Amino acid sequence: MSLTRLVWRSLLAHPLRMVLTVLAVTVGIFLYCFLTSIVGSLDAAVKAAAGNRIVVASAVSLFQSLPASAAYLDGIREVEGVETLTRFTWFGGVYAGENAPSPQFGVDPPALLDIYPEVQLPDAEAKAWLEDRKGGIVGRQLAQQRGLKVGDQLVLQGTIYPHVDGSPWTFNVRGIYSSTKANVDEVTMHFHWSYLDDTLERGEAFGPRGSSVYLVRIKQGYRGEEVAAAIDAKFERGPQRTRTGTEAAFQASWIGMLGNLPTFLGMIGGAVVVALLFGVVNTMTLAARERVRSMGILKALGFSDAVPVRLYLLESLLLVGLGGGGGIALAWGLQGSFQKVFAQFVPQYAVGQDTMVVAALICLGIALLAGLIPAWGAARLKAVEALRQ
Amino acid sequence: MAATRPERPDGPLIRMRGVSKSYRRGGQDLLILDGMDLDVAAGEFLALMGPSGSGKSTILNLIGGLDNADAGEIVVAGTDVGRLPKSALSAWRARNVGFVFQAFNLLPVLTALENVELPLMLTPLSRKQRREQARFALEIVGLADREDHRPKQLSGGQEQRVAIARAMATDPTILLCDEPTGDLDRVSAEQVLEIIQELGRKNGTTVVMVTHDPRASERADRVLYLDKGVLVDGSASAPAAHPR
Repeated sequence: MSLTRLVWRSLLAHPLRMVLTVLAVTVGIFLYCFLTSIVGSLDAAVKAAAGNRIVVASAVSLFQSLPASAAYLDGIREVEGVETLTRFTWFGGVYAGENAPSPQFGVDPPALLDIYPEVQLPDAEAKAWLEDRKGGIVGRQLAQQRGLKVGDQLVLQGTIYPHVDGSPWTFNVRGIYSSTKANVDEVTMHFHWSYLDDTLERGEAFGPRGSSVYLVRIKQGYRGEEVAAAIDAKFERGPQRTRTGTEAAFQASWIGMLGNLPTFLGMIGGAVVVALLFGVVNTMTLAARERVRSMGILKALGFSDAVPVRLYLLESLLLVGLGGGGGIALAWGLQGSFQKVFAQFVPQYAVGQDTMVVAALICLGIALLAGLIPAWGAARLKAVEALRQ
Repeated sequence: MAATRPERPDGPLIRMRGVSKSYRRGGQDLLILDGMDLDVAAGEFLALMGPSGSGKSTILNLIGGLDNADAGEIVVAGTDVGRLPKSALSAWRARNVGFVFQAFNLLPVLTALENVELPLMLTPLSRKQRREQARFALEIVGLADREDHRPKQLSGGQEQRVAIARAMATDPTILLCDEPTGDLDRVSAEQVLEIIQELGRKNGTTVVMVTHDPRASERADRVLYLDKGVLVDGSASAPAAHPR
């Protein structure tokens, strides 16, 4: 016989109530982790953006392609401060049997690897990619999710760029990259922009010509805002006006397209925690009301006032611990599935260690608060009065 | 039972002097005990009788340190109960007092054995020793075969016997019984009284029992009647109704 057993027995005296409370905490903490991870993943991309990169997009809309001719490319390259650049074209292909497009971009491979030191790719794989015009590199997470390895073929159905004969696009997996920073995800496939453009040129596929955006690395000693302003000024009169900004600003504007969603998600996460606190406090208060007499018995037997405090705190910690642990485990376990689901909008979705630690601390806080309220009442309770109930 | 009982002081084991206690009910102070004196000798079986609300249970609560007197002195087994700080009072109660209540007051979520083991958690005994002692206590009250039963799986008489086993498991100096047969049928009541009397006699435990039942009081060495806050000797107060 121990106090822990007494607590466990007390919990099991109302199994349905216990299960429902544990489930409520599980769902609540899972939601908190999930929502916080979305907001955190979006923020991380902005924070990790490099200061020496700028993004050139259409001034009309992010969904409006910019011309991709060599002349246009040279036009950007000629702007003072521009060091190197790559086209970046959203391909939007879907895997067989799926509906939602995944992130794939047509790029200029040498420039991409040059501009993004965050992209870690073995030299042999980089070389193989550069030499194979039908080749592509896939992120480590994507490779894990799809079971891809170097040498495999990646088959995608074009949605923006369908083949005229309806056949799918086939890419050769030439490399699997990993990323050292949150601004570069590991769920994207990059392939030769020229392969896409040549196919369009030959009339074998439909789709808009051009580049969704240009990624530019600026020379050392130049400020991103100034180079961006110079590019925008250059194309003020066409052929298409541009809106150029730093990589961080571009990431932020991408998030901004989601409206106030991150703020709302954060608020919902906070509300879930508060609702959880109320729920657990309610359960513990109800339990304490039922056990006034039991506490009186313990005191009459000679147990000190500290014992009810320990009992209620232990009970609350058990309840919230079970539920919270379940919620954190669920959020962590479903990470891979959510990475697939949100690959397009939140490609860097990940339940970070800090999120799990904060969730655990929230659980601890809720457990202590919810346990202390009945514990305080039980400690003040006089045995004589309790036994009269 | 454990032989850890403290040495008994000279003179009465329980000594109450000028004890007063009032309760506030409906905005009025209701005087329950009015300068009451009481001596109970070590090993004595005392029955307290009197009308409902006369303060019999209050006397038990004061002796057991569950309640505080407004005035007067309560010395139990050499300890001035009224002067003990709250924390020390709990420990003192665990060592010296066993309670048996009318409503049994077993913890419903625990088995009979676990209920009996509960007060033993406050002793320095090991887990194994506690379990053995609790089993022994259950054996004494004739419920060895019911150790895994929860209170709701027991009859009223059995519940009360478990409560007695719990009260006696720590071998207390004093056993305070508040209407122990109040909720029992005649046969069960006789069994319970027999056990209380026998345990008191064998262990030398001082028993103070509050009861309305004249047959229960017959087993006591002495009967006192509480009337209007004052104790009166049973033989002088109501000899016809409560013969000794």
